[in-house]
Amino acid sequence: MNWKLTTTAMGLALLASTGLASAAGELNIYNWGNYTSPEMIKKFESENDVKVTITDYDSNDTALAKIRQGGHGFDMVVPSQNYMPIWIEEGLLLESRPDEMSNYKNVAKEWADPDFDKGRHYSVPWAQGTVGVVVNTDVYKGDINTWGIIFDTPDELKGKVNVVPEMTDVIDAAVLYNGGKKCTGDLEILKKVRDTLVKAKPNWVAMEYGTIEKMLAGDFSAGSDWNGSALRQRLQNPAIKYGYPKEGYVNWSDNLVVLKDAKNVDNAKLFQNFMMDPENAGMNSSFHRYANGIAGSDAFMPAEMKGAPEVEIPAEFLPNGVPSQTCPPEVQEHYTKIWTELQK
Amino acid sequence: MARYFSVQHQPGFTAMAVICFVALYAPILILVVYAFNGGESIASWQGFSLRWFEKAWNNEQVIGASWRSVKIASAAAVLATIAATMAALATTRTKPYRGLTLKYAFINQPLMVPEIVTAVALLIFFSRIKVATGYSGLGYLIIAHTAFCIPFAYLPIRARLESMNLTLEQAAADLYATPWMTFRRITLPLLWPGILAGLMLAFVISLDDVVITNFVKSGGQDTLPTYMLGQLRRAITPEMNAISTVFLLLSVGIVTLFFFVSRKRD
Repeated sequence: MNWKLTTTAMGLALLASTGLASAAGELNIYNWGNYTSPEMIKKFESENDVKVTITDYDSNDTALAKIRQGGHGFDMVVPSQNYMPIWIEEGLLLESRPDEMSNYKNVAKEWADPDFDKGRHYSVPWAQGTVGVVVNTDVYKGDINTWGIIFDTPDELKGKVNVVPEMTDVIDAAVLYNGGKKCTGDLEILKKVRDTLVKAKPNWVAMEYGTIEKMLAGDFSAGSDWNGSALRQRLQNPAIKYGYPKEGYVNWSDNLVVLKDAKNVDNAKLFQNFMMDPENAGMNSSFHRYANGIAGSDAFMPAEMKGAPEVEIPAEFLPNGVPSQTCPPEVQEHYTKIWTELQK
Repeated sequence: MARYFSVQHQPGFTAMAVICFVALYAPILILVVYAFNGGESIASWQGFSLRWFEKAWNNEQVIGASWRSVKIASAAAVLATIAATMAALATTRTKPYRGLTLKYAFINQPLMVPEIVTAVALLIFFSRIKVATGYSGLGYLIIAHTAFCIPFAYLPIRARLESMNLTLEQAAADLYATPWMTFRRITLPLLWPGILAGLMLAFVISLDDVVITNFVKSGGQDTLPTYMLGQLRRAITPEMNAISTVFLLLSVGIVTLFFFVSRKRD
């Protein structure tokens, strides 16, 4: 009878799935999807005789929710820097002291002592990027390094602007444009921010993600965007350039940490040190296409990324960067109100 | 002569039907077409190519996740169908009694309770067990999938049982067949199409699940749907379309297969 066969097969499947892996060591990484170079992982596996398993998440919140509950079986996570204080304060991370590891010397100096992890006691840079503007310079010849493209749209670009609907990114940009500080609670500024946004919106054609196709097709000629996306656009149409607004632009990063309840602590520390090696970081960047905060890693990136203005922030724009952080709840509330009004 | 009343002759019927079919199938069709795109884009055509299928085939994470999906769905579908068959027999081969409706509601609970609620509840519950026992294998996912697959297996089996004629079973009993023999020789063969239909539905439902899986999975337990969800944050290439297309073919294939199997037996 078929039943016997089915039951046997099922039993075997269950057994197979519960059996322990037999590699010398293991490492379980919980990371954003499509963010880890398979070649780099193979290199780590063969150098250290460790079997690495990658599991994906799709948002900081999902990752945080699962790790908080415990029993997850992960050793490492890659949270965004604005979430890092939560991870540290809740005691979810192991103080693995990357700053005492042999490869720490390779961390670029602007990332060696960040506010979100003073002295790098917990985290190692994974990837970093910026939120700026993309402009098709065939359509508009003026200065592109300003949020004015979005908020005081030049005539050539009217009805051709797209804004990526990330609440914090958009409102931060408007705050900086109005001379405020990120996460400001100053109601005068916030009022101006609201007026700026409401006045600017009629000049936009859309508020959506997935800008690459439409920028290339000419449906959009400008918009707010991320640097990685801007690089992909320029490689297909050299007229599309990325601007670093002089009023200030937000710098974000994702960072590799070890969890407090990790089972493979030694391997996790090995991997943190491994990620601070320029060759490995460069390999990873070639895959995820963002910069990585490790000095000298660009030597190991493909030609189109080496020295690309989207990947490496040009020195003249460096001082205008503002680190990404989570605003206090009361400011967040103001942001949400402005956002709701903008959506009407 | 006046026409009979027919829904097909109501004004707007054709237009409505066309809109529904377009809305249902056009996006899927476009997705499938762009799986064969030669370029990097999922929206502008750059020539025919199978390279994205090749890329997906060589992507270890995709293959691993696919196998895991099939494994979980097979185990969950079989377990759910066994439970559902027993539940269906117990709730139909009996005189109606007080509390029977409540039992229906209990069995079909996963259909009513929002999936995210079940997911969060399972996350908290299983996390405690994982911490206490140290076991974090696929068992949790199989249990969770079995639980929400039961109503999908239960409904077709119950429908089949209710439409089955009782006379054959009564005749068997009259001829001194034991209840077990009656079940083996009479009820089960007659019920088989319903069981297959239930099994097939449960399998496909388990294969598709994202929300609960995403919350329950432990390290290295991505299924194909959760893997695909993880990809969406970054620039999407036609590789996603290729994976979706294979996934779609698999689902349609299973449904078709079971359709023919169950029709033959009918």
